[in-house]
Amino acid sequence: MCCIILLAGQSCQQEDYVVFEIEEQTILPINSEKNKDKSNVQYISILYTNMFRKAMSPNDMLDALHAIESIGDKQVAFDILVSKYMNSDEVVIPSDEEMRSDPEKFIRDTYKRFFVRQPTQAELTWMINYINSRQDVSAELMYFAFATSNEHFHY
Amino acid sequence: MDRRKFIKRSALAAGGVIGMPYILPSGLLNAQTSPAMSEHVVFVLFAGGVRQQEAVLKRYLAGSQNENIEGNIMYNMLEGEPPEDKIAYGRDDIQNNIIGAHPIDRIQETTLEKQGVLFPEVRFSRGGAGHFNGLATGVSGSYYITQGLRNRPAHPTIFEYLRRHAGFKATDCWFVGVGIGGSRPLLNFSDHPDYGRRYGGNFIAPLTTFGSPGEKHFMDFKNYHPETDWEIIREIRTFLNNNYVAEGLEIPHLYNAPEEENEIREFVRIMFEKKKQNNVILPPVNDNRDLKTLGYAVEVLRYFKPKMLVVDLSDIDVCHGDFTAYLKNLHRADHGVGFLWREIQRITGMQDNTTMIVMPEHGRDMDPNPIQDLNDWYAYDHSAGNVNTRRIFTMMVGPGIDSDLKVGGPDNPIGDASDITPTIADIFGIKQQVMSTGLLDVNARSLFDRI
Repeated sequence: MCCIILLAGQSCQQEDYVVFEIEEQTILPINSEKNKDKSNVQYISILYTNMFRKAMSPNDMLDALHAIESIGDKQVAFDILVSKYMNSDEVVIPSDEEMRSDPEKFIRDTYKRFFVRQPTQAELTWMINYINSRQDVSAELMYFAFATSNEHFHY
Repeated sequence: MDRRKFIKRSALAAGGVIGMPYILPSGLLNAQTSPAMSEHVVFVLFAGGVRQQEAVLKRYLAGSQNENIEGNIMYNMLEGEPPEDKIAYGRDDIQNNIIGAHPIDRIQETTLEKQGVLFPEVRFSRGGAGHFNGLATGVSGSYYITQGLRNRPAHPTIFEYLRRHAGFKATDCWFVGVGIGGSRPLLNFSDHPDYGRRYGGNFIAPLTTFGSPGEKHFMDFKNYHPETDWEIIREIRTFLNNNYVAEGLEIPHLYNAPEEENEIREFVRIMFEKKKQNNVILPPVNDNRDLKTLGYAVEVLRYFKPKMLVVDLSDIDVCHGDFTAYLKNLHRADHGVGFLWREIQRITGMQDNTTMIVMPEHGRDMDPNPIQDLNDWYAYDHSAGNVNTRRIFTMMVGPGIDSDLKVGGPDNPIGDASDITPTIADIFGIKQQVMSTGLLDVNARSLFDRI
């Protein structure tokens, strides 16, 4: 009798109906939070440190700032500035042999140095393929492109 | 179809074709509607603040100092005999220690006044007589009554109108600044949402680019091969820039095409080489910043043959504290303009195909301040509200422009400081497009419509 009562009770219990949903997520690129322009002073200062591994003197900074302000197209101005720095013996760049012997390490280090982040898998793949497919790519040209890229100008 | 219907439909179809705007290569509607009057325009902002009295009125020291000596110290531009006494505006006589004793030889055999049109009484009609307001009004045709320094003009500049409506390339448009002070580097494009950086003109301040700052940070920059090295740099950069470009987050560039970027870099390299060899073209007398800047402006004209070049001067502004130096620099500004016009006529493609417009950005006060110089002559400021600061002149010379024509006078002022932008638009055949934007000052008109 007790069993019948228990069974009857269970059969009357209402079953919960649960719907599982997926919370909407906005997928943004890894560098999407860097959406503010650096000032010319910030850009020059960070560029110099990335290229020479040392800080720029205040006088040099002022002159560099004036030189940049004297040319309207900032991409052209930055290109000339970086070209000038590339002519210095003091610029710190890995050798081409280092780049080619371990492209992944070179790419990871370069992203970290200029963009302060690791590359995504897609970026890493593209870069490795590019280095491996182009014998005329040098570490210097890679550094040039990173130094004068839009991401390097934003924070 | 009867004859009447046929003619009517044909006329409608033809009208539709004529009236139909087409899309320019830049992706913009409204093409040039009338042929250009000349292929190049050079606009000299005869800037620094020029008193009408020492310029077109040729009063030299009369009225301003306790010397009743009149005369014309701008004899490349204006008709009139130079002063005969108290000569202090020329080159210094170093042997005898006399300041400004030797007037500079004239460059133009025939004055620009005789070669073109002079508007001797133009009005700087609104806002304070500040340099930025003056310069910005000159390049945009709109006064900046409330706008401070360190801001771009709120209304489009002539560069933006020309790039957007006439399809000019970035290197067709140049602003050659006498320096980087006074917000000059902000005058090559506006903040206007429909125009802005995409249509900006190139800017260069050559005394800085090729002066000490540029020598330290630009000179002897590495010369990457434009077709091998630069191709690689651009390929990598394009990959790196991908999502930034889509979001409009860019290094603030001016949409120079890659070949234009190459040309600008090459120009900078060549200029450094010319400077090392002391080979940069300069006016015969070049002892101030204005004259050196004009020399570099000629180099820009020679190299790029731009359709539109604005060059500004500023040494005249020493008048705040040194009237003698003001006279010297005014005399030199005239020398520089004479030199500029001569050199334009020596450039293949620009000769007889260039219009030059000269206009001070504003005037100076009627009454002096208390500062006296070595000649005991009083200095002059340019103060807000002083009526004399509103008096300026404008001069035009070039193909299709009447010669020896004077429009207006002291009792009949004709012309406004905001006229230059619609005038240049008129020369390049886009006046209607520019006027119809409604972004010019209410007084602004093409000077050709005022003649």
